[in-house]
Order: sequence, then structure tokens, then C-alpha cells
Amino acid sequence: MTEIDYCQRCLYSTDHPLGLTIDDQGICSGCRIHEEKDSLDWDYRWSLLEALVNDYRSPSPSTYDCIVPVTGGQDSYFILHLVKNRLKLNPLIVSYNKYWNTPLGIHNLANLRIQFNCDILIQNVNPVSVKKITRSTLRQLGSIYWHCIAGQTVFPVQTAVRYKIPLIIWGAHQGVEQSGMFSHEHAVEMTRRYRKDHDLMGMEADDLLSDFDTLTEGDIWQYRYPDDDELHQVGVRGIYLSHYVRWDPKAQHQQMIKHYQYKTARFARTFDCYDYVDCFNYMDIHDTIKWYKHGYAKVTDHACREIRHGRLSREQALKLVDYYQQQAMQYFPLFCEWLGVDQKGLNFVLDHFRNSTYWQKDENKKWQFRPPQQLQNNKVNDDTDRDLALSDGAHFIDNSSLLRDKHSAYITIGKGWP
Amino acid sequence: MLRKRLIAVVTIRNHWAVQSFGFQRYLPLGKPECIIENLDRWGADEILIQDISRSQSGAGPNMELIEKIRQLHCSTPLTYAGGIDSAASAIAAVQGGVERIAIDQLLHQNPDQVYDIAAALGSQAVVASIPLGIGADQSIQWYDYKHNRYRAMSEPVLGLLADNVISEAIVIDHVNEGRANSFQFTLLDYFANIQVPLIAFGGLSECRQLEKALLDTRVAAVAMGNVLNYREHQLQHYKQQLSAISAMPVRSAHYQRTYWYAS
Repeated sequence: MTEIDYCQRCLYSTDHPLGLTIDDQGICSGCRIHEEKDSLDWDYRWSLLEALVNDYRSPSPSTYDCIVPVTGGQDSYFILHLVKNRLKLNPLIVSYNKYWNTPLGIHNLANLRIQFNCDILIQNVNPVSVKKITRSTLRQLGSIYWHCIAGQTVFPVQTAVRYKIPLIIWGAHQGVEQSGMFSHEHAVEMTRRYRKDHDLMGMEADDLLSDFDTLTEGDIWQYRYPDDDELHQVGVRGIYLSHYVRWDPKAQHQQMIKHYQYKTARFARTFDCYDYVDCFNYMDIHDTIKWYKHGYAKVTDHACREIRHGRLSREQALKLVDYYQQQAMQYFPLFCEWLGVDQKGLNFVLDHFRNSTYWQKDENKKWQFRPPQQLQNNKVNDDTDRDLALSDGAHFIDNSSLLRDKHSAYITIGKGWP
Repeated sequence: MLRKRLIAVVTIRNHWAVQSFGFQRYLPLGKPECIIENLDRWGADEILIQDISRSQSGAGPNMELIEKIRQLHCSTPLTYAGGIDSAASAIAAVQGGVERIAIDQLLHQNPDQVYDIAAALGSQAVVASIPLGIGADQSIQWYDYKHNRYRAMSEPVLGLLADNVISEAIVIDHVNEGRANSFQFTLLDYFANIQVPLIAFGGLSECRQLEKALLDTRVAAVAMGNVLNYREHQLQHYKQQLSAISAMPVRSAHYQRTYWYAS
């Protein structure tokens, strides 16, 4: 294996699952590309976006100009704010029902429809197939989230083909934001290759089928990407707003809280209260699996982002990461009940995906995390220490809770649930 | 009439496919096999896979990667570059599943070995990779990326090209590699008196550049790397544009369609 190098500015290493390069000055590609945010002419870039979308404006008010994928969390509000209020487009919004919806996510999604007055299509794949896929991807990839990502990334494209709406507008490009895969000026667009390579961990729907598994074509066909020929006939293209707007999720969310009543919640495993409030599992079991497999959790992604935006020092970030990534899951039993598996059995499966670079069993056969040498010496002793690490600049607003004091189970179909 | 080719280049560094800028700066792209599979589905005329870590470390060809690629069952002809240092390693790469090999460092270090490779595989399977730059005095210089230095093209290498031991030469604008719309066409003139067909690479991103290169009778193909990762169907887009130009002999764009049958 190639030796792992660490960025001297953020906390990422060359072991990043999206890939990462480090230059002669010891700075990673993600930090270098982030520097563009302070050097690019964003007014000019916005004018490029306006020119681009002009070709897609429908002359008739009775058809849609574009498709916007949304959830009850992440950047959905900000994307719609840009698309509807600034670009003056008429979007069809689409959402994939991941089944693990929080009451807060359902509330946010309902409020989003009211605030922005948009038509919505929600894809509900039958729950039997979703559970079968979840079991298969757990075994094959150590992932519970494959079906969510596959659904979220394919349903908008399928809708574009079916409804002949060629333009899909996404928010941020994860590869650019995290690992600096492309320059903003490359204005990279949605591709099937990126989806398979990174979003789906190298496995498209048909790759899941095997003689040694119970999945059938009837379970996975809803996740098939449209053919090149279909995409070409309609002229489907997916663009990312983060190439045209100086992307800053924290500032954007706070704007959405102020203007559109976006609701947020505190998580056990990260200090960011804004991302993924729509899902019980993303910041919980999915995040813990990420820690097992890659040696770091979502809190590291959040910390790196805040370092790059100058709101956290590297030392503060290391303390936060050390504190949060060790926090226990809160909704593990809920997931086991939904999937119909025994908790011990699921832990047995997950242990197979612990990365031996970062995990070892001690003399008592207990798994111990071995943080890399480069990220040590920043132990957090208690909550006070953590709070000190959260300087004013890294403070996040929590104005609600995942459960909203109403319901502690998944909202499987959440049409306008309060 | 022989059609001219659009070659897709996949550059690999430390096991990752990367964007390369002037042989100096790199950005991560993803898993090589995912990118190659995609280019195969897109209908590239050829895929050049170059692992730039191998000669640097003296590790020989990346047989693990070649095996992964073999398992993709690509229908696109594949050329492999990286760590080919002898006839034995060239034979191993071809037996591993690629159609041709490309050499760069061997031309600097031991060009006589190329005669042995051509004798074993046939010259049609041997491609020379020649990064060039233009010096302050406007002279064209040969770039040695391993030692980061320029030199004049050596007599033995010119002899290889003149003797038809090599089937095609990739003329790389190494300074502008990865930069949009910046290929220096004067580099092609360096080979004015040599009959070997040329492949232009480095800084080609616009259709009118591709057209200009392909209309040059010495040029058999153009190669592109970074830019093919920016848009869906970028390769087909180029082919469509070029096909619309009269007398441009390129294969037409291919858009895959799958027919599903009830099982």
C-alpha cells in the first residue's frame, strides 16, 4: 500500500475515499481548490450560470424549466432559493423516499414546498426491495446507504428522461468541495461515471446481482441509470451551483433559518446541526460505519470544511473530531428493528468492515481505534473542553430536534406530516 | 480510407486516476477501472492508460491494474504505458490483455531495448511517448520527466523513428498538458522529415483544435485526458462536431442502448 500522507492545513489524508493529492508544500488538493473561493470573480461566474440556464427557460408557464433534487435537509432550501428567487426558473422538485425519515426532515420538506411553492414528485420504491438491497449492500460493501444514494442520484435523471426536462440543478459537487477533484472553473457536470465510481462505491444496480444472493432484477431495476442514448435524445445535463456561487454551507443554512424557517437539530456525532437532519441513520449508523471503514467520520468532513473557511483552527478541529467520532450511535436498535436483524448479528457484519489500518483488537478482544500519529495529541477530556473548541465562529444553531417531540420512529411516507 | 482516431488518456498516479497539469500538478479523479469502463462504453477509438508512478519508482508495469482492466472485457483497443523497461515487461503487459505498449523513459535510458520489444511484439504494438517543450531560443526540446530536464532528441531515438521500429509517436505538449485550448502546433513540425504517424496530445480541448490537428496528414490521432471528465458524453460530443465537418474521417458518435430481456 502507498504510504498515507496528511495535509498540513486540514485533517484529510491521501487515504480519502474520493482520492486526494498533496502538493510539494504539504497542502491537499481539497484545500488548494478551496483557495479558489477567495480568488474567483463570483459575479462573473454567476453571469455564466445565467447565460447557461437561459437556454432552458420554457416559453410556456405550463411546463418546467428544470429539475431540482431535494431532501428535508442539506442544501435543498438554498438551492431552491437560488433557482426560484434569483434565477427565476420554474423547477419540478423531486425527492427519493429513503424510509428513514425523521419528523424534522418531513417537516422541513413540507415547509420547503410551502415556502417555494413548487410541484414535487416523490419516488417510493417498495419497502421489500429496499430492505433486500440494504441487506445485500451491507454484506457486499458494508453500506446501508447505497440505496439512498443510488435513489437520490438516479431518480432525478430518470425523471428528466421521462418528462423530457433536460436540465437538472444540483447544489454542491462533493468531489470538488472535499477533495478538490476539479477546479470550479472546470464547471464539471453530472456524469454516470462519477456516480458509479464515488457515490455508489463502484457498484451500479446490476453489479449487485449475483448467483449467490437473493436480490433479483425485480428488486434493482428502479435504480438503473438511463442509457446514454436516452440521455442524448433528451439532452440531459446536470449542473452544480457550487461552481457559480461561493459555496459556504454554514452561512447558507443560517440564511435559510432566518428567511425560510429551516429547522435544525443537534447530533451526537458531529457539531454541525444543519446537514442530514432528514435522516435517522446518516449521522448515526452510516457515520459509524464510515469511521470503521475509513478511520474518520463525518465530523472530520465538517471540521475540514470549517478549517478551510477559517472558522476553526486545526487544533480546535482535532479536539472536536476526537470528541465526536467516539460518541455512541443513538438509533441502532431502530435500524435493526426496521431491517429485521439481531443487533449482535449486525455488529458482527459491521466488524468485518473495520479497516485494519485504524482498528485493532486489544488483549480483551475489544476493538480499539488507533488514530493516525499525525492526528494525535489533541485529546478532549469532557464537554467543557469540547465547547471551548467550538469557538464562536464554529457555533451552529439548533432550533429543533430530529424527533420534534412527536415521534421516535421512521416516517416511511411523509406527505406533509407536521 | 483509414479513419482518424480520438484517443482517451487515463493517467494513473499512486493507484488513482488523476488529472495532470503540465506533468507537475495533479488532482484526483477516481478508480482507473471505472473511468476506463466508461470510456469503453462511450466508444473511444483507443484508450491510453499511463501509470506515471511506475518508471519513477522502477516498479515495472502495473500488472495488477492490467489484470483489473482485462476483467472489464473492453472492446476498445488499449495501450499501456508505465514501467516498461525491457522486452520481457512489454510482453507481460501485452499478454496481460493490452494491445499496445507506449514507452517514454526507456527512450531516454536504453533505446536499444526498443528493437528487442519490436522484434518480440511487432512494431505495430510499440508507441513512443515524446513530451516536448519550446525553449527560450524557440528550439524544440525533449523533456525527461523523471529527471525534470530538457535535452535534444538523441540520435538513437531519431533512428528508431526513422527505422519504423515504432508504429506511432505521441507528441506531447508537456507544458500545456491539462490546459484548455493551448496545444502548440509547431511541436508537430519537429517530425517533418520523419514518416512515423503522429498522435497529438496536451492542451487539446476545442473542436477547432482537433479539426486542425486531424487535417494534418501526419497526424493519425488526437489524444485527450482531463477534459473527458468534465461532461457527460464529452467524447461523443467531439465526434459529432467533427463528423459535421466535411471530409473529416472519424468514427461516428456512439450512444449505448441496453435491451433488457425478461428472465
